[in-house]
Amino acid sequence: MALHEILLQQLFNGLLIGSFYGLVAIGYSMVYGIIKLLNFAHGDIYMIGAFSGMIILTLFAPVLGSGWLAIVVGLLISMLLVGLLGVFIQRVAYRPMLKAPRLSILITALAVSMILYNTVMILSQGRYRTFPADVGTESFYIGALRLTETRVVLILAAFTLMFIMHMFITRTMYGKAMRAISLDRDTCQLMGIDVYKLIAITFFIGSSLAAAAGIMAGVYYGTIHFYMGFLIGLKAFTAAVIGGIGIIPGAMLGGLLLGLLEAFGTQIPFVGTVWKDVFSFAFLILFLIFKPNGLLGRSESERM
Amino acid sequence: MFKAKNCWILMLVAVMLIFGAFGCGEDAAPIDENGEPPAEFEGEVLIGIMVPTTGSEAADGIDMENAAKLAVEQINAAGGVMGYKLVTTTGDDGCDPSMATAAASQLVSEEVVALVGGYCSGATLPTLAIYGEAGIPFVIAASNATSLIDENPGWAFMINSTGLDQAATAVEHFQALGAETIGVIDSGDAYSADLKVQTILQWEAAGYEIVAEDTVQRGEVDFSAFVTTIMATQPDGIYWTGYQAEGALLIRQLREGGYEGIIVVGDGSSAQELIDLAGPAAEGVYCTGPPLTDFLPAAQNFIERYEATFPREPGAYAALMYDATMLLADAMERAGTFDSAEIRDALDATDGFEGLAGPIYFTEDNTLARSNFVILVARDGRWALAE
Repeated sequence: MALHEILLQQLFNGLLIGSFYGLVAIGYSMVYGIIKLLNFAHGDIYMIGAFSGMIILTLFAPVLGSGWLAIVVGLLISMLLVGLLGVFIQRVAYRPMLKAPRLSILITALAVSMILYNTVMILSQGRYRTFPADVGTESFYIGALRLTETRVVLILAAFTLMFIMHMFITRTMYGKAMRAISLDRDTCQLMGIDVYKLIAITFFIGSSLAAAAGIMAGVYYGTIHFYMGFLIGLKAFTAAVIGGIGIIPGAMLGGLLLGLLEAFGTQIPFVGTVWKDVFSFAFLILFLIFKPNGLLGRSESERM
Repeated sequence: MFKAKNCWILMLVAVMLIFGAFGCGEDAAPIDENGEPPAEFEGEVLIGIMVPTTGSEAADGIDMENAAKLAVEQINAAGGVMGYKLVTTTGDDGCDPSMATAAASQLVSEEVVALVGGYCSGATLPTLAIYGEAGIPFVIAASNATSLIDENPGWAFMINSTGLDQAATAVEHFQALGAETIGVIDSGDAYSADLKVQTILQWEAAGYEIVAEDTVQRGEVDFSAFVTTIMATQPDGIYWTGYQAEGALLIRQLREGGYEGIIVVGDGSSAQELIDLAGPAAEGVYCTGPPLTDFLPAAQNFIERYEATFPREPGAYAALMYDATMLLADAMERAGTFDSAEIRDALDATDGFEGLAGPIYFTEDNTLARSNFVILVARDGRWALAE
């Protein structure tokens, strides 16, 4: 394999990983935009999504099998259920804290994270689980680029979800209201916008996107476990910061950029796979120092 | 107002203390599992089990705990050790050095007479000094990094062959399959890093070439970057020295990425779980493995009893853990006392104890004098002994 072929393959690898990061980062960014909360439980929502996908796929396996049809059904049901879980968490854990100091709600988010992953740890006995999807692993080539059906479908699905999300935020009344709330919540309330309802919708969308990413990761990697959300939570946070936290297109862009940085970073001599995370978090620090508002961020008051 | 608050806190503390005292009371006098009073015994002897019962390696850890309990049950049914009943207490090392240190301190404070266990070498390593300082003999069933030899203050005995033996087995196997270049990848913990280094040293000493070398983080799920590197260098064989959770993903992604060469995994990945998680991609993967019970003629009776007692098949280290427990009981009988130093000396003097996995003799380093590694191959979704 020549160098340009390796780089082309890494470009694709990076885009695929980056689209997972991006989907999770959107939820991070939306929630931050609307209630200024770094929702550390978001990575665990991703994990819950993978597990609920596993359960639903197992339940439906006798009827739908374990191919793409079953995955799509499982994905949609899980997105709905996990979205509702997100709304529930928001209602019981975050909403009572909205008027409290910012630090209190941040700590609440950490507590929610621990409750979620410890619950799943106990229920899954701390074991790795096989994700019950049976999809094409046969590979084919486009030029020197080696692809599998699964990879192509997943990357298309991720981009489709991101596109729908972008349209929702920019073209609908709800999207406009969300952007308005992120600018000034109190004024929005005075203008008659149902702020709490929109916060709930934000959590619903963010959580269902994370659930989608969790299921897609399950399909792609084939195994899931209770701690899978921790690292991706941090990565998604990094992606959101790189893109400009609170800005939806920024989260997608940040996710893709982070995926590419990791993929190409491992090609640098002496960096290697083991330094991958060091590499990506070093970028987080660089961004925080030199461009704290992120790629698409402008100033402190204009967000989302 | 402040005083009232303090009063509440005091009451809370008092309640907690009372419950705490009840808790301790229970620990001090363990009730027999069957509810029968252990009247026929002269007393009880507490044996510590240190294995990971939670986390990524919990499957093997719980399996080992089961095997030890089975051995203890058998010993007690035969009248115990010198008329004393063996009782076990388990410390969860979580396959994590910091958790293991806490578990070890806990076991020491429970005043165990001796210990069996040890799965992840990285987790076992920091506990050796703790047990050494407390003067508690420790029969290590599975952990086998060579670093354990250097850190052993003399109280630990390893009944699994070490990384040196395993690296030699791996190198011989790659040679036998005609490989000339290999890539070696580990998961950054003491055990797998050690096996990687030993393999590289022995492979290069045999005059061959290492074309790829990498380390991944524990818990890593994405190996696409590494797979791309492998496809560029095209080694004849790949040796994964880490555990099954990451190993299964690596195998899947290597095969999906188009790698068709030889894949060999170390004994950390020898659990059936590796094949289950990797699916069809695991077919034809080799393993430098521990002596699995399935292939040990002496272990058939053990397998039957294990499956009758627990709702699962014995895993990769069940036989070794059973041996470790039986060896410990044997050493206590030979010592004729429950004095720790005497038990240690008796372990040291072990001369051909007949374990399920073969006779046990110790070297001066307290390691097994004879290698017990075998080459396994994944065939039809199961590990089988390779010819």
